[in-house]
Formats: sequence, C-alpha cells, structure tokens
Amino acid sequence: MTGTLLFQSLVLGVLLGGLYALLAAGLTLYFGVMRVVMIAHSAFLILAAYLAWFFHQQTGMDPMLSLVITVPLFFAVGVGMQRLLITRLRPATITMMSVLLTFAVALFIEGMIGFVWGGTQRRIQLPYSGDSVSFFGAQIAVVKLIAFGLAALSLAGLYLLLKHSRFGQALRATIQHREAAQLIGIHTNRVAGFGFGIGLATAAVGGTALSLDATIYPSLHWHWIGPLMAIIVVGGLGSIPGAAIAAMILGIGQSLLQVPLGTTWAQTIFYVALFATLMLRPQGFFGGRLAQRF
Amino acid sequence: MSEPIPAPQAPSGPAHSTGNLLELNDIQAGYGRAAMVLRGLTIKVPAATVVCLVGPNGAGKSTVLKVASGLLRPRSGEILVGGRDVTGQGPQEMLSSGLAHVLQGHSVFREMTVAENVLLGAYTLRDKAKVAERVAFVQHLFPIVGERWKQLAGLLSGGQQKQVEFARSLMVSPQVVLLDEPSMGLDPKTTATVFEQVVRMRDAGVAVLLVEQNARRALETADIGCVLDLGRVHITGPARELLDDPQLSELYLGGRPAESALRKEG
Repeated sequence: MTGTLLFQSLVLGVLLGGLYALLAAGLTLYFGVMRVVMIAHSAFLILAAYLAWFFHQQTGMDPMLSLVITVPLFFAVGVGMQRLLITRLRPATITMMSVLLTFAVALFIEGMIGFVWGGTQRRIQLPYSGDSVSFFGAQIAVVKLIAFGLAALSLAGLYLLLKHSRFGQALRATIQHREAAQLIGIHTNRVAGFGFGIGLATAAVGGTALSLDATIYPSLHWHWIGPLMAIIVVGGLGSIPGAAIAAMILGIGQSLLQVPLGTTWAQTIFYVALFATLMLRPQGFFGGRLAQRF
Repeated sequence: MSEPIPAPQAPSGPAHSTGNLLELNDIQAGYGRAAMVLRGLTIKVPAATVVCLVGPNGAGKSTVLKVASGLLRPRSGEILVGGRDVTGQGPQEMLSSGLAHVLQGHSVFREMTVAENVLLGAYTLRDKAKVAERVAFVQHLFPIVGERWKQLAGLLSGGQQKQVEFARSLMVSPQVVLLDEPSMGLDPKTTATVFEQVVRMRDAGVAVLLVEQNARRALETADIGCVLDLGRVHITGPARELLDDPQLSELYLGGRPAESALRKEG
C-alpha cells in the first residue's frame, strides 16, 4: 500500500466514520432512554433516503432541502411510535419484545417502499455528484464531504441539546434514574417520547446524507442494521459519545481494510469487533456505567 | 407502652385544621393483580415532626411512601396534604403539593455533577432568584454538597450521595419529605451523620416520614413511631415509648420479627 493510498483510505475512513456515528446515534439513544432495540432504525434511514430521492425527482431541488419536511415528520412519527406502540410493551420484557415489534415495523416499511416506488435500484444524480476535491494528494468526493458535514452538524446539535438544554437534562435524568426523575417532577413518559422522536429525526438526516452517495433499494436496511448494532455494542449501549468513538474507529478500520481485502471482507470488521467486545468487555469499550446498569 | 392505639383508626372527618401536613386515611393498595400490600392503613404526619415507620420485611413500609408520593395509586382511601385531598394524583402533582420522596438505595443521577443533581431538584421552579436562595439553603444544611459541587455524583461515597439526594429533594421547599431507608448500605458512622441530617431537616421546619429497617436507630431519632405489620399500622405512639416497651422490642426491634408477628396475627 502506497503512502498516498493509505492517506486516501484514512481520510475516507474518517468521513465514513462520521456518517456511521450519526446513523448509530439514534439507535443508542432509544436504548439509553427506553431499553428499546430499534431494528427499524435502518429501515427509517432508507425511507428518508427514498424521500430525499423522491423530493429531488419531483421538485428538481437539492435533496438536502427535503430535510425541512423529513426531520419534523420523522420526529412526529417517533413520538407517535413511542406513545402508541412502545409503551404497550411490558417494562419487564421491553428489550426482547421491542426486537420483535420493531422487526415487524422494519418489514412494514420495506414493503411500503417496494409498494410505492418498486424494487428498482435508485440513485440521485446531482450536478456535483462526480466532483471531488484534492486534499494533500487524496481525492475526496464532494458528496462524502457534505454527508460528513451533515453528520458533524447534527451530532454537535444533539450534543448541545442533551448537555445544555432543560429538555436534555430531563432526558439524561430519565436515562440515569427514571423513578428519581419522576419524583423531581419530570414527565418521564413525555420526555421518553421526545427522546424517541429525536432518535428518529437523526434517521432523517442520516438517510438524506446516505442518499447523496448510495444506490438505494427497499431491502438495503438489512445491510445496515448489523454494522450499526455492532457499533452501539462496541461503544457501550446507551452511550452516544461511545457510539461516536466506536463508529469512527470502525469506519477507519473498514476503509483501511478495503484496500487489501476488498469491500466484502472489510465489512467483517464490524462482526469481529462485536464478537471481541462480547468476549472481552460485554458492557462496551466506551459506555461506562450506563451500560453496566443493564 | 402507655397507650397503644389500635389501627386502623376510624376515618376522621374533614381534615382541615387538624394540623397534620400529611394524612393517609384507610389506604388499600397493591401491585398489579397480586394481593393487597396495604390493607386499611392510616398514618398522620404533623408539621416539623419525624414520624418513623418500622416493621418486618414485607410489611408494606416502602409501599406507604410510594402511595404518598404518587408513584403507586391506592385502590381506595384518601391522601390529604395540608388538608387538601390529593388522592390519585401522579408524582408531579404530589411534588407541587409539597411532598418530596427520597428513594431507597442510591438514586442520584450518577453521570451528572452534584450541581446538576441539586439544580434538577428545582426542575419545576422557574424563578431563578428562588433557586439561588434554595441552593444557598441546602448548601448550608448539607455542607458536603457545596464542597463537592463540581464533582460527578456517582463518584461520591454512599453517605455523601444520600446527602445530595436530600439536598435535591429540598430544592422545592417541600412541606413533607418521605425518606425510604436512608441508612441502607451505610456504615454506622455515616448512618449517624445521615440521621443527624434528618433531625436538621425537621429543625428547619420540614415534616419527615421515615421508613427504616434499622428500627431502633430510627426510633431514637423520630418523634412518633408507627409499627406496621401486614399492611396496617398496629401501634402508634411517641417513639421513645415504643423503644422502651419490652414486648415491642421483642417483636419488632429484635432479630426475628417476621415469624413472631405472623403468629400473633394468626
């Protein structure tokens, strides 16, 4: 591997890792707030990607403008899904049962995408789709930079919201001790609903970022859910910073392995990391006590 | 024991003007479809008084506090706070009526600083001047809270965490504080400190309803003692008198309360 190729892979790995971090943030948030394993998260990502593509098809405008519609829409769907479906599950078995429930939701979304837009592969063609910029000798596609920028902005926003807003404090209190949060006057069910909505809103942004640089088809979400689950387990279930660090490391690892192993085998890094985590440190590498409580 | 008052007492009339900050009258409560835990329980907590609930495991002590703070809705009976009927309200409403509940075990938000924990206690308060005033008050009452202000709450010792929980619960100026086994898992020296803090809360004008496994220690601190068994209050009286009663000591403050109590009931 030449120095330039290595550097190119490294830069692409960072960009990929940033996107993974956004895609996994919602997934780890659901688990942190409600102990819900949300198999349908990647199906919502693909749905957002389809909506971005459809928006571009219909209006001819930049697919990123679809965020104005999809982010509030996904937030509302998330709140509704938590209120109407997730709260029906018994708290004692919520983690296991949520796998089944959200598996069904994922199948439903996949079916609906196929029903509405057909099974054909789709790809957004933009004036800047083929453009790239040179960065110290590495060629970086503009769409990848944009996707990374979207991810970085959303994660920074999520961080500020959780760390510094009144709602964020209430959400973190609910995650850390639900009963104590109720007793200081926090409406934990409402907060959990908004938390779920925010998780799904990140799927809207992630899906749109993904749509800029991917060929999409209805069953694509099965390809994504495995790596995303691996990322949140490695990062420590429920920990957003943990997921971000794990996403970055695995993204860079995948990108570097693509050169000697090819894309298919490079993908196995997620599963190797998953098995290694479960064997050596089941609570995850970066999650800390939050994950241990479970 | 001078005058054991048999329970359940007859429900009293309109509760205003009785001087009790908290009254639970003839409460029946339980979890799901399981059998009732509380079966006609009546307890009254006067102002600036520590009332202590003692009794064997499974008598329903923690359940009393959950009913009082709205975490568990009673099947029947009434709850009065300052003479106002608040039966069936949730924890948020109970908090605004002046009840604060400190849970059993550790319930600080471990991944937050002491400051964040205490300020979250004022989650329902919007008045910044009032919050600042309460912060000064709880820091004065529990000096450790001020000393560890910027540290992560999860890194404090058990006794220090308990004081952070006390401080958090006092941020809304509650009239009544419900304390569930505050000495649980603490060494004897720390337990002594925690009980001193309970007395300081009372001296600051707060009524305390205390549940304790460590019955003897709790009755030494309390003004009024209630012996709870099988979901009812069996005896209510001045704490000192309950402590001095040899029969009670044998039954509830000794080492084998549960079987003897059951035999007595049967």
